[in-house]
Formats: sequence, structure tokens, C-alpha cells
Amino acid sequence: MTVMQRVVKPKNPRAKRALVKREPKIIENTKQCLFLHGKKTGEFMRKCIKDIYALKRQDSKLLQSQDQLLPFEDILPVERLAHEHDASLFAYASHSKKRPNNLILGRMFNHHILDLIELGVDNYLGLEDFKNKKITVGNKPCMVFCGTQFEDLVDYKNLKNILIDFFRGVEATDVRLQGFEHALLFTATDDTIYMRSYKILLKKSGTRIPRVELEEIGPCMDLKIRRTKFASDDLKKKACRQPKHLKIGKKKNQSRDVFGTKLGRIHMTKQDLGQLQTRKMKALKKSSAKAKATNNEASTSTAEPMEVSQE
Amino acid sequence: MAATEDQLARLSKVKDIITKASQELKSIEVNREIDLEFDVGNLLVTDKNTLDEEAVYDPDTRPAYLQSLARDGIQALMSKVWDLPSHTEDNAVFVTLPKTTTVLPREKPVPKEKALTKWEQFARDKGLTKKKKDKKVWDHILKRWVPRFGMKKVQADKEKNWVKEVPGNVDPYEDMFAKEKELKRERVAKNEYQRLRNIAKSRKLKVPNVGVTGNDLATSKDLGVAMHHSRFATASKGKFQPTLPNEQVPKGLGKKRKHEQITGDGRAEKKRYMEVLKKVEKNELNLSTAVHKQIREENIEADLAKKGGKKQLRRSKAGGRHRTRSDHRASKLGKGIHESRKQKISKIKAKQETGGLGLGKGRRTERTGGKGKKG
Repeated sequence: MTVMQRVVKPKNPRAKRALVKREPKIIENTKQCLFLHGKKTGEFMRKCIKDIYALKRQDSKLLQSQDQLLPFEDILPVERLAHEHDASLFAYASHSKKRPNNLILGRMFNHHILDLIELGVDNYLGLEDFKNKKITVGNKPCMVFCGTQFEDLVDYKNLKNILIDFFRGVEATDVRLQGFEHALLFTATDDTIYMRSYKILLKKSGTRIPRVELEEIGPCMDLKIRRTKFASDDLKKKACRQPKHLKIGKKKNQSRDVFGTKLGRIHMTKQDLGQLQTRKMKALKKSSAKAKATNNEASTSTAEPMEVSQE
Repeated sequence: MAATEDQLARLSKVKDIITKASQELKSIEVNREIDLEFDVGNLLVTDKNTLDEEAVYDPDTRPAYLQSLARDGIQALMSKVWDLPSHTEDNAVFVTLPKTTTVLPREKPVPKEKALTKWEQFARDKGLTKKKKDKKVWDHILKRWVPRFGMKKVQADKEKNWVKEVPGNVDPYEDMFAKEKELKRERVAKNEYQRLRNIAKSRKLKVPNVGVTGNDLATSKDLGVAMHHSRFATASKGKFQPTLPNEQVPKGLGKKRKHEQITGDGRAEKKRYMEVLKKVEKNELNLSTAVHKQIREENIEADLAKKGGKKQLRRSKAGGRHRTRSDHRASKLGKGIHESRKQKISKIKAKQETGGLGLGKGRRTERTGGKGKKG
């Protein structure tokens, strides 16, 4: 008696829904982010990672301190964690003598590492250092990238891509006009990238387009690129492959006439007249034909009483 | 004079207002050397202009300069956003963002199209549509709403089918209810097999045609049988196979001893007994066996008499066959035990012929020579 290979079957609808959520889809879920830190990170980096987590609260998880992870040496534990939480972005904060105030940003494709970049954090000012009212949680930020380095240098280009992926949030279709609250600025110079975060205030101008005023709120940091590990070209290509969106073809053979009625054209196959059904058609029967003839006669003459009663 | 002063004051006021207004009008304009690039779908602005390095490096001027950069960028973006098609819902104005232009990698690979199962293909070809079924069905026998599936349905079926008509062509002693149960089991197994076959097909695995069942549908009995087979397939045929902590080895498996029929005609039994009787009642004297027995008994008694010990019964402490002195003598002479027995047989025969007189060692009938008596 053979028993087939084990098929993981969900035991209840909730489990099934969770599995379906994790499946690859044509239109994907928002990328979830995992915020990790090692055991000896120090207050500085913990504050930093908490602040970035605050910016991205809707789609991220802040995990408790992990055993020392070295993403550049051994990425497997990170991959495993990401797989567990179904996250494809992660930020890992650490602090050591050799690499002080270290922040590693990474992203995954199909639960395997795609890109990895190590940044050093300087001149950090957290959310609490700016004493003003903040923005609502989960707000989609407007991003500004300044500096020619973001176009010229490969590292900076990839970093820009990673930062967009990181901070973009939900892929929104409709946005409320009053909902633009958050602005992020990344300015690149030769050695550092300045990250600033502002609150957008829309003021009246003479026209319908408002005047924009900014107020600095959020975490402010100076980043320096340390180590990088970007994906190979073919992996990048594979990851960026988009599905063929179903094209709505033109509806042919439909038209509307002057009165607005919908008209359609049907193209019939050639009818084989030899195969026409003539056997069970009452109209074609001889007896019925005779009855029809008599009826016609009766309508003209008033001879038979039966016909009269029918009328 | 006063009038003109007033007028002047008013004029200056108006001037102020106009200049202010014009300033505000200018304020939404953003002029840059290189035009800014937008990805409105992502609310992204890219500024390719060269930066004022001094302003950036100097930590005093940095915040103000960066803020101004950001402000310009966001202002330009807002101008773009406000020009998008909008619609109003719930007292709020929404704009529809265009598709994103930045190429960002996907989270997971593009899903492969699932292959249609055999039924889905057939349904599509025939043009069948899925019809939504109600959870409850009106049962006109029980006169109430019965669920379509589940425990309550089974109970209702039991209520309905408390009696079954036996049709004419069916064996009257057959258990109809058991038959129904068996048929249902078969149907369920078939369905399960087909489901697993579909899964295997989608995963491109091979499936054997016969003897397949899923893990879930095996009854405890079936699982017991499977475990028995796995135990039996060892070198010791399951006899010395250690069990797992809570494992209970099922009893009653393996080859069953076939008992003969008690009832029915007793011809076979009679035959068996007659054969046994024949063997027992045989009058033939197997001479050699009788002789051997006799010799053995004599030798044992002789040896015992000489030794003066207890009569050793069949089982000897030394183990192995009980060998008597005469046997040992025979083996010494190189003739072997059986050879000595043969001699003894001839001796006894001779004894019988001579009428039972023991002639002894030295008394040979046809001996010549030697000291003996001379005739």
C-alpha cells in the first residue's frame, strides 16, 4: 500500500488564507520590512533603528535583539528570519569598534538575498530631538534625491533604488490631496549622503496649487557607504521581470446605431443543408399542413360548428 | 491734502497687497538649471543639478540649504500632482496617480499559470458554469431543512434510511448496509486518489495506478497493517524488531492457521484417522528396530551391573548419545557401532536357529584348530 508524498494541507481557513497571502502574485503585497539589531548595539543605533521603524510602522516588524548576525559573512539566518515573517526588506543595526554605528540595508527576492549595503551613521538626530508635532503613521512620503552622484556612480544608483524601495510604502493609486504630509530628502556629495525628513505644510497661494513649506521633524542622519554586495546582472534582470498584464483587447463586432441600441455581428459557420433536422418538426408535417388548410376553409365558411366554437 | 494723503495711503496699501500677491504667485514657481525629473507614481523627484558644495559642507548653512532644496523639489512635485485627474469622494478630493516609472525588483517571482485539472478542462470545453449551492436543502421526506453535508446530513440520512428494500436479484444474506458503507468508502478513496493525482500532475510527479491512498484516509486498521508490513520486512521477520515508545504491535496479523471444518461430511477426518490406525496396528515386526532395542537394553543393564550405579535414563549428563562399553569396544576395533550391531544381529539370529542356546564366546560350531576339543 503506497502512500503519496506529503502535501502540506492547511487545517483551517485561516491557515489557508495565510498560505495564500504568501504565494507569489501578479500584483504583489506591499514589501514588509524587518528591523533587526544585535545584542551589543548600543543606545545610539537602537534609537536610530526605532525611528526608522516609526516611519515605516505599517509594513514592518521590529524584532528583539538577535544573536550576532553578520550579514556580509553569513546571510542564511537573515534569510530564514525574513522567510518566517514573509519580509523582503530588512535593516540591521550593529555597533563594533571596527564598524561603529553600522546600518545594513538589504532586500530579498524569493526569500534569497538580492542586494546588501552597509552604511555608517553620523550626526544623528532622532524624532525626539525635534520638538514639534509629527505626521500620521503610514503616510506615503514624497522623496527628493539631489546630487549628480545618484546618476553617475553605480553604488549610489543602487543605493537610490534600495532607498526608494525601502521608503516608498504602499503602491497607491488614489491619493487624497490633503494627504501629502511627509517628505524625505537624500542629498549626495562625494563622501556622504544626507538624509533629512520634513513635514509638508500646504499654504495658500494665489492659484489653486498651494505653496509648499517644510518643517523638519524626523530622523536626520549623515550616511557613508561602507561595504556593498549587489546582485549580479542576470539576477537583477530576473527580479525585475514584470508579468504580462492582461491587455483588454478591442471588442470587435460590436456597434451602436443611431438610437443607441447595441448591435452585434455573428459569423456563422457554413450550414450543411443535407444535415438539416426535418424529422421532428411539426410545421413540416403533412397532417398539420392539411389541418391548416381545413382551418383556412372553415374560417371562410360557417358549415362546421366545431370551428365556430374555437373562434 | 488729507484726501490725497488718504489716497496715497490706500494706494500704498494696494501696492503692498499687489506685491505680496505677486510674490505669492511667484512662490509656486520653481526654476532650476536642469529640469527636475519626476516619477509621480512613486512621488519621487530627482534633482540632477550640481549642488552648492560650500553650503552643504558648512554645518551652519547645511540645514537651511538642504531645506530649500527639498522645498523646491516638493513644490514642483505638487504642481504635477495638482494637474492630475481628480475625483471627489466623502468631502475629500482624490487624485489618481499614474503608473510608476522607476524599475524596482519584485518581491517574488511571477507566478506560473496553474494547469487546469481534468474536470476544469472538461467544464471549460462544455461551457459549464459554477452554480452556487445552498448550504441547506429541503428534504421532503423528513419535512425540514437538512444541511447539504456534514454530521447533521449523515444523521438525517440515517433517519431516512432506517430500512432498505432488498431487490429480487440480490443474495438475501448479504448485508446491504455494509455494502453501502463499502461503496461510500470506495467513492471517497477514488476521489482522494484523483485529487492527489491532480496535485501530482501539477507538480509533475509520477503516480502509480493501483494501490494508492492518502495519509488522511487510512483507518487505524490500515495503518496497523502498513506498520506490520514494515516490521515484517526485516531480517528477523519482525520478531526481534524493537518497538517505538508508545507503539502497539497489532495482533492477529500474519499467516493465519487454517482449521479444518468441524461441520460438514467427515470423510477427510475419517481418512486421516484410519491411516493413523493402520500405522498403529501394523503386525509386521521390524526386525532391525526390535533387535536394536533389545541390544541396547541388555548392554545398559550389563554395564550398570558392572559399574554398580544408577540406571541412567535416556538423557545422559555428558550429553549426546548414550554410548555403552560395548559400543566403545566396537569403535576401538575400528568397526564402528553399526558394524558391531550387525554382528549382534547375526548372533541373535544364530541363537534363534540353534534354539536359544547361548553358545558363548568360545563356542563356535565350526571352529577348527586351536586348543579346543578335538573330535
